[in-house]
Amino acid sequence: MRFFKRSLFTLLSMAGLLLLVFFLSRMTGDPSYLFLPLDASAADRAAFSQLHGFDDPIYVQFGRYVVDLLNLDFGTSLSQQRSAMDIALEAFPHTLTLVSMALAIAFAGAILFGSLAARKPGGMIDRLISILSLTGASTPDFWVAIILVLIFAVSLGWLPTSGVGGPLYWIIPLFVLVLRPFGLLGQVVRGSMINALSSPYVKTAYAKGASEQKIIFVHALRNSMLPVITVAGDLAANLLNGAVIVETVFGWPGIGRLMIDAIMQRDFAVIQASILVTACAILILNILLDIAYVVLDPRVRHA
Amino acid sequence: MKKGKTYLAAGISGLLAVAGLVPHAHAANETVTVVLPEEPPSLEPCESKHSSVGRVLIQNITEPLTVIDPQTGEVKPELATRWEQTAPDAWRFYLREGVKFSDGAPFDAKAVAASIERLQRTDMTCNTKQQTLGGVDIKTNVVNDYVVEFKTSKPIPIFPTMMTVVQMSSPNMTLSGASRNPIGTGPYVITAWNAGTDITVERRDDYWGEKPVVSGARYVWRSESALRAAMVATGEADLTPIISVADADNPETDLSYPNGETTRLRISTMVPPLDDKRVRLALNLAIDREGLKVLFGEGAQLSEQLVGPNVNGFNPDIKPFAYDPEKAKQLVAEAKADGVPVDKAITIIGRNEIYVNAGEALEAMQAMWSEIGLNTQIRMFDTGNWLRYQNKPFPEPDMANLHQDQHDNLLGDATFTTFNKYDTEGVNSAVSDKRVDDLIAKAEPATGETRTKAFQEAFALLHDDIVADVYMYHMVGYTRVNPRLDWRPTLATNSEIDLSSIRFRASE
Repeated sequence: MRFFKRSLFTLLSMAGLLLLVFFLSRMTGDPSYLFLPLDASAADRAAFSQLHGFDDPIYVQFGRYVVDLLNLDFGTSLSQQRSAMDIALEAFPHTLTLVSMALAIAFAGAILFGSLAARKPGGMIDRLISILSLTGASTPDFWVAIILVLIFAVSLGWLPTSGVGGPLYWIIPLFVLVLRPFGLLGQVVRGSMINALSSPYVKTAYAKGASEQKIIFVHALRNSMLPVITVAGDLAANLLNGAVIVETVFGWPGIGRLMIDAIMQRDFAVIQASILVTACAILILNILLDIAYVVLDPRVRHA
Repeated sequence: MKKGKTYLAAGISGLLAVAGLVPHAHAANETVTVVLPEEPPSLEPCESKHSSVGRVLIQNITEPLTVIDPQTGEVKPELATRWEQTAPDAWRFYLREGVKFSDGAPFDAKAVAASIERLQRTDMTCNTKQQTLGGVDIKTNVVNDYVVEFKTSKPIPIFPTMMTVVQMSSPNMTLSGASRNPIGTGPYVITAWNAGTDITVERRDDYWGEKPVVSGARYVWRSESALRAAMVATGEADLTPIISVADADNPETDLSYPNGETTRLRISTMVPPLDDKRVRLALNLAIDREGLKVLFGEGAQLSEQLVGPNVNGFNPDIKPFAYDPEKAKQLVAEAKADGVPVDKAITIIGRNEIYVNAGEALEAMQAMWSEIGLNTQIRMFDTGNWLRYQNKPFPEPDMANLHQDQHDNLLGDATFTTFNKYDTEGVNSAVSDKRVDDLIAKAEPATGETRTKAFQEAFALLHDDIVADVYMYHMVGYTRVNPRLDWRPTLATNSEIDLSSIRFRASE
């Protein structure tokens, strides 16, 4: 029953999102102004609107969209003149791979350094790691991206400037993308671990003679993970919506860049398809997060 | 210590190079990598007026019947060897024999008819037709295999010029959506398009013309000018057609060229206080355009009409307005004394990134106009909303405004400028003057000297007598080219990059 209720809510929020995206995207203006030449006459614009059905009342357009959606027809891109869903599905794996790797690195780094920082709050290591993570969380990624390209690609010639290719192509984009999640997660792990390490069960573990390594990384860490996973989930959702800066600067053919381009071009079908794909991904992510909660916290399991 | 770091850097670079991990775009071959500002939305021949499409397609994959010589502006034969006008609304073209499309289909009169049909299709809006042949329908009559006759819905004396934009494509290409795999008669064929990543082309062995030196090309795209420049600097790419003036900091690799664009602020000449000629003249005299060149590059030329010297109808006798703020102040004072509401706010309609430093230029001009006592306010828009103010019906017809505009006329005839921009009925026009309308009407059906003179008179009238615009610059563009290439940009570089024109320097 609970599962059924949750699924229903999810479907309702997806429907609400699609409704919102449909109407909001159309409020950005008439696509004929962007797809026809500057000198196009009113008659040319009217013909364009008729060809693409934009001259129908908005509720008729919406009805058509819903019917097409139910028939798994996600529309045709105005600019590319091919299936909008094909375009979104071509772009999404690039973003997914980049974001997954970035989050995995940020997560692992944050756990390691956050735990080390929490071991002696206010100590030298804690201060150093705090400075690092706060710097990471607050540095503008666009600036970091360009600076890293100038240093490592242009001046030193060690890495390629941009593009998609072998392992070296991943280094700068990943570094830029990891910086902020690492900073934020590092702070969350630190805070959560400080609380856990002052808990009675940790003192008991010390009293029983357990090693410090085991206490930190087995007992305390597991209990500190719930807030970390919550924040990591939010970060992952944000990144899945588009690591736009990284994708734009490094010419990464991901869904964030696709969405921004589609919005700028008023390519409604691509906007809708991209958001649908991303929403589905976030839905799956939320299911995975729920499973992670269940695994980590017996209280959730039993409830 | 410094030496140690240098050794370390050199060591790591060496290791990476040995491992083959750092990309070297031009490792001992005759291929080139071109980095464009954006990925083409398609490679549809009838969309070739879209610059991102044209730069890959034109002269490389597809070719037109006629071409414009970028140096002289003359129309020259390409797939047609000659042509003649048989009636005011009819033209006969004689086709080059022995030409084949890359799919093996013969290039003949039937193929020309199919290409015209493709252009006039109704399942999508072809920008080539919209931009250059708008309102004209073309009927094709196949006379024999190598002779084709065109009948146009109205007389077009410059029909051979218009045919320079119509790309010939194989009759075997389907008419479903915008093509991503065009088939033409050009010296190259598309070999791969990895969506979002790159497009590669390869030289054809059976090309009808001279075999190009470049054996193939890879097109990639980056939206950031600094990154495009960096890619050429590091050797990852060989050329990029557009970089900003700020990134063009290496005289050895960065070439400036007149890009055919002319900038202006269109004056709403019928709305007070801009309906007073003295105010319009003051707007022009108050601008220190020599000083503002720093924003656009020293190669930019002060403009005095909306077309450049490459265009038939350009008037070389018009002199640009000189910077004279004192005279401008005096004109404003005179207008004020005569009751012209010079204190009324004038709105500047700007467009983000219409050209490099577009916003900065407007801010500087606003300060200069403030010095002479005019009250201006800037409203910046994205392209879509800016376009609402570009075209009639204007959304706020009573608003005194200066509309930031940039116009190119690469087809080489003033007809592609004058009617829309200055005729009373023109879709972009903020001018209504019978003398201008009459001159345009006189020029359009005419040929030769009559045509040229009528356009020249119209431009002189608009500048000297009407003061229709705040005139700015004939602009320049900047390209970055790897020193291993022997290639220079031309007026056409904005819309096409002819790979056949690229040579390699001897040292490579």
